[in-house]
Amino acid sequence: MASLLQPDRVLYLVHGEKKIRSPLSTLYFCRYCSELRSLECVSHEVDSHYCPSCLENMPSAEAKLKKNRKRICNQLNENFRCANCFDCPCCMHTLSTRATNIPAPLPDDPSKTAMKKAYYLACGFCRWTSRDVGMADKSVASGGWQEPDNPHTQRINKLIEYYQQLAQREKLERDRKKLARRRPYMPLAFSEKYGLGTRLQRQRPGAPITSLAGLSLKEGEDQKEINIEPAQALDEVEPLPEDCYTRPINLPEVTSLRQRLLQPDFQPAGASQLHPKHKHLLIKRSLRCRKCEHNLSKPEFNPTSIKFKIQLVAVSYIPEVRIMSIPNLRFQKECQVLLTLTNPVENITHVTLVGCEEGDPEDINSTAKVMVPTKELVLAGKDAAAEYDELAEPQDFQDDPDVVAFRKSNKIGFFIKVVPQREEDGDVTVSFKIRHDFRNLAAPIRPSEEGDAPAEAIWLTHHVELSLGPIIA
Amino acid sequence: MPLFEGLGSGGEKTAVVIDLGAAYTKCGFAGETGPRFIIPSEIQKPGQQSIKVVQYNINTEELYSNLKEFIHTLYFRHLLVNPRDRRVVIIESILCPSHFRETLTKVFFKQFEVPSVLFAPSHLMAIMSLGINSGLVMDCGYTETLVLPVYECIPILPAWEALPLAGKAIHKELDGLLVEQCTVDSDSSTGQSLPTVIGSIPEEVVEDIKVRTCFVSDLQRGLKIQEAKFNLGGTAERPTPPPDVDYPLDGEKILHIKGPIRDSVMEMLFEQDNEEKSVASLVLDALVKCPIDTRKALSENLVIIGGTAMLPGFLHRLLAEIRLLVEKPKYRDALATKSFRLHSPPAKPNCTAWLGGAIFGALQDILGSRSVSRDYYNQTGRIPDWCCLSSPPPESVYDAGKTPPPLMKRAFSTEK
Repeated sequence: MASLLQPDRVLYLVHGEKKIRSPLSTLYFCRYCSELRSLECVSHEVDSHYCPSCLENMPSAEAKLKKNRKRICNQLNENFRCANCFDCPCCMHTLSTRATNIPAPLPDDPSKTAMKKAYYLACGFCRWTSRDVGMADKSVASGGWQEPDNPHTQRINKLIEYYQQLAQREKLERDRKKLARRRPYMPLAFSEKYGLGTRLQRQRPGAPITSLAGLSLKEGEDQKEINIEPAQALDEVEPLPEDCYTRPINLPEVTSLRQRLLQPDFQPAGASQLHPKHKHLLIKRSLRCRKCEHNLSKPEFNPTSIKFKIQLVAVSYIPEVRIMSIPNLRFQKECQVLLTLTNPVENITHVTLVGCEEGDPEDINSTAKVMVPTKELVLAGKDAAAEYDELAEPQDFQDDPDVVAFRKSNKIGFFIKVVPQREEDGDVTVSFKIRHDFRNLAAPIRPSEEGDAPAEAIWLTHHVELSLGPIIA
Repeated sequence: MPLFEGLGSGGEKTAVVIDLGAAYTKCGFAGETGPRFIIPSEIQKPGQQSIKVVQYNINTEELYSNLKEFIHTLYFRHLLVNPRDRRVVIIESILCPSHFRETLTKVFFKQFEVPSVLFAPSHLMAIMSLGINSGLVMDCGYTETLVLPVYECIPILPAWEALPLAGKAIHKELDGLLVEQCTVDSDSSTGQSLPTVIGSIPEEVVEDIKVRTCFVSDLQRGLKIQEAKFNLGGTAERPTPPPDVDYPLDGEKILHIKGPIRDSVMEMLFEQDNEEKSVASLVLDALVKCPIDTRKALSENLVIIGGTAMLPGFLHRLLAEIRLLVEKPKYRDALATKSFRLHSPPAKPNCTAWLGGAIFGALQDILGSRSVSRDYYNQTGRIPDWCCLSSPPPESVYDAGKTPPPLMKRAFSTEK
């Protein structure tokens, strides 16, 4: 019976660039456009970063600039890694800092020794320690561990500087060209002074870039030239060491490809060169409707909090249809299915169900005919205190017992009649449209009107598909 | 790297550089010395096997949704930045099919709304990471080995050469050899042949075996191994094989890898098949196709990039093979240059093309003007491609007052 409550039994249709059918629990509702949105038709944005092991929030770049730079310097990480936590290079688990007592000479009196604390990193899962790669124990618990530097950094920075100079030159030429073109009366001879030939003009966006070919440094340029030494090619390459052919391999000493790729700068082949890396951060993301640019979901800044600042999820605005019980479905025989309808908002909601007409373009999956109740169903508002209030007055709705099976606070159960039309394997699918009134509390307050004008109700229609299970012959 | 670089220097934010390879994707930011992450180019669907993202034969819808999911993980799990803020530099192979390229562009512009995209050829970017202007670049990757000479920063497109002898072929060969020759010990039995214990070895395991146990022998030894395999001389004897390795599988079983497999599987890269093509002959064939004046500069500036080039002993063997082949009659008369020199780029071979893209992406002055902007894409609906003639040339090529643009623009362009 619990399988009837599976979320993908009842699908709502979302109108976006693509028509998407998904359960209501995965959808968002934009109050400003009054439409359902799914994860594919909203834009995702990075809201904040946090470390998954120490749960420390990393402020975003703009926040850092505003605050006192010196104070935040320690946590600043343009490379999105936690300053305090490390990952084991062997098994990617989080490393813990352990302390031992080692005898060390006192600074005042070298002859006496006292116990000092020394810290090292250790993995609780694979028993790797920082001593395995030769990292000395540190005397501070955190902040002492450094990652090794890439030996090629200087050369790469020099290359970037050199090319930036060429790029600046290209930009100047391009700007001059633009100015030159605005004066068509300029004699042709002058254009020679500005242009470096037609090769420069090949700036078609996206064409195979000819790189900065025409812009090698010319003599006589008086700006400070950054000359780059072109890389030297070598005649000989180091061959494999002789013992490679005869020495048996110690497999645990050789790093696996996955371990190597975690350190892209070094990619060491030996396990004794695997240094731990700072832990990578995770993000909290916020969602934004593409049409009206309003936020649909914005989480709290604090990593330990699971609440949301803005949470426009569909289940808190749209009545939800759920399947309660299904009798045995037989081919071409009318069966009665019991569904429930829940009202998520606090005011009374009126719901009308309409069957899909012939040739409805949205109705592509249904394999059975469905007869929905024609009368309007009224749902009571959600009252949070109702379950505690035993003296509550019974709700006074006149319910037709053929249509409404039961009523319980903001939920009603109602019957629909289903006639399966196809005798094939697979689930019987029915679809219908549900039309309800929605009071948009997000509407801007009209300044001219005093008093408490109730928000106007607009009618929304959603296409719902139910998957009722196989036919039992 | 300076702490606040890129934040308040007045320019725009650093661009994102992505090298989408068939086996691994390298991603990171422009101006850095190495990619932040090297991840397999696969997406994981719950409960199913991982699906490769770079596939050229699937229909557009599936490719679109695979790429969308992959780029989503790239941004929100690895790079951790907003796609809308940063320009994108994509390193691609020039043989990438247009269909794949267009779908990728569509994902970036429509789904992630990036400000601009630049497609950079990987061979050209490798040259840029060295600070030289010409070079013969060979990319040994997963699907194929592709050679493209670059002279004075312009790729010599007609001289391209490619062979499907790369990671994928090595995995297949190794898998075949393992199934044929090796035995597995499990807790209940010993010495069973492989297919009886496990169905087939997953490709990741084969790749790991390749990386950890196999190597490329030097020239003399390699030639002897090849002789022994084909037994041309009749009495050829194989040099002593390296020791066997016990490789643990699954935590319960042990695979005994025979020693001869370790050094002979890589010979397939250098065995010349009926057409006498091997990885080394590609270099010489490309040189022959190049103009004569360029050959000396190219042969003295060889650059080898790609993951397969990181196999131990590969570079040494490749250089030796090239020097051997150049003496053969086929090349001896055609090529006058006999000196070959190899560069060592300031990054590992699998990241060199990425590094070149990162250096280019750091040039904020011109990155914008050379990229395809989102506005241009929304207006024209397509991305310019080197092999497609229907992209109209921009007006800036023609000075005011000269003759109007040629007929090509009017014939194919949909603009007014």
